[in-house]
Order: sequence, then structure tokens, then C-alpha cells
Amino acid sequence: MPFSLHLEDWRGWLANEGMLTCDPRYRISSPPGNALPAMLRRRLDDTGRATCEILSALDPEADLPLVHASRHGDTTHTLGMLEALEGGEPISPTRFSMSVHNAVLGVHSIACTQRRPMQALGACGDEFDAILHEAQGYLMEGHRAVVAIFSEGPLPSAYHGHTEHPGTACAVGMRLTLDPGRRLKASGPVRSGHPSPLEVMGWLSGDTPFLAGRHRWQLGAE
Amino acid sequence: MNQTCDLTLELKRLIIDTLELEDITPSDIDPEAPLFGDGLGLDSIDALELGLALQKHYGIKLDAEAEETRHHFSNLNALHSLVEARRVN
Repeated sequence: MPFSLHLEDWRGWLANEGMLTCDPRYRISSPPGNALPAMLRRRLDDTGRATCEILSALDPEADLPLVHASRHGDTTHTLGMLEALEGGEPISPTRFSMSVHNAVLGVHSIACTQRRPMQALGACGDEFDAILHEAQGYLMEGHRAVVAIFSEGPLPSAYHGHTEHPGTACAVGMRLTLDPGRRLKASGPVRSGHPSPLEVMGWLSGDTPFLAGRHRWQLGAE
Repeated sequence: MNQTCDLTLELKRLIIDTLELEDITPSDIDPEAPLFGDGLGLDSIDALELGLALQKHYGIKLDAEAEETRHHFSNLNALHSLVEARRVN
């Protein structure tokens, strides 16, 4: 099935703002703000909070399907739970309840009373292509637009050198449609790279001419 | 400050730290106000987390299903009475 996706708007967030070169109008500030109610916000780390801010910025009416991908999820807290189990300590009920991959979307949906379709996925490095496939599916079903977001939290030092990671917590979200916006052109498939949210942001900002995932992605003119 | 005040403050800090209530200070917690639902606004996951904290800090084991547990968690004063009566460390 050929891709016919268009980019209507996007937002990016980096824990270390100094590394971010994108236009300020597309940027979510770090640390993220306090838009979420405090009793929900406390359960999310900065990456989760930034993810919710991006979702609210791109879907202000809370009426679009949402797709959230993260390759590794919240590894900091997952590792903490594994270490507690190893030490024979009870694990935190809060951490356990938040350890599912769709936890961030769940908090967002409670905060915004969002009742549209939502899905969370991990794809072993193919997250960027995966969220575009899912977005295309929702659009073909007749939704006007879809928000697809890709985030990575910080990687605990125990995992350094054992997996690919952008080296910083980061998140990028796109509002995609079948028509208005900049065309996302797919050629290939090339299967040459595992783009991280950081690389997606660089590509959306025009720093790189194409993005190599399972396809070779190019962005049409504004 | 007498021991009752000490324990009250200690419990307020335990609740704030354990439940990561980043915008709440000890003076915001009214000892008479409900901890769950209205009042402080804690939820069922907080109840489990608080039960675990009482076990870790004071050696108090509670039955999550028991009606008396609801009473112990009704407000800070009730929690205070529980800890005073049942603490083993």
C-alpha cells in the first residue's frame, strides 16, 4: 500500500534544550510545564509530561486518534523494579501500575477525557515507520487527522553500550493527514536505520535531507 | 514540640514523599480532611503504596480488603492513631 501521508504540524522536546536546533514554534520547553493536573502529573517523568504536552498541542480538542511509540519505554523505573525483586524487596504498586507501555497515553486520556482510539507500541527500532503505518490505517478508516508521537526516556547507565539510544530523553509528535500539509514521501524500502526521536526532529527541522528507516523518507515542500 | 506533633509531621512527610505529591507541603494536609477522594484526593493505587510504606517504616501489616483498613486511612488523625497503637519499630 503506497503512503499518502501529509504532515500538518509537529512538536519536539529534548531534555537538554541546548542540543535542539529546531524553530522555537515547534519546540516544547524543558523541563515541561504543569499543564497536567498535579495528581496525574506526579506519576510521569519529564519524558511522559513532555509527551502529554505535545499531544495537547497537536490535538487541542482531544478528538483525534493517538499513536505513541517508544522503543525502550520507562527503563529507569522498570530497572528499579527488577532490582527490588532481586533484592527481595516489595515493588512499588505505583511503579507497577505505570509499567505498562500505554501508561502515558492512559494518563493523558484521563487528564483530557480523550476517548478516541489510542495505541502504544514498541518496534525494536522501527518505531518511526510503525507509527506512520498505524496513522495511515486510521486515516484510511476516515479519521480527519492522527497524532503520532515517538518518545524515549533516559537510559540507565546499566544499559549503556547494550542497545541503541539517542543519548538523551527526547520526544517528537506529528499531526498527520491524507491531504493538507507537507507530503511525506517514502521510497525504498531500505531498512538501513533505526531513527530515534532526536533524528526525526533533525529531519523535520530540515537538518538532514532524508530519514532512513525501513523506508527512505523525504519531506515535501511547505 | 511533643511526640504527637512529631509523629503527625512525620506521617505528613511520609505521605508526601511516598506518593510524590510534589506540589503539597505538610501544612496543606488537614489532619481532619479525607485522604482519599475529596480532601487530599488520593486514589486506590496510593492506598496500596501507603500500605506498603506503613509496613516498611513501622512494621504494620494491614489487610487491603478489611473494612477497618478503610477507617485507618480515612484521615491523618486515624492514621496517627493506627501507627501509635500498632507500630513495632
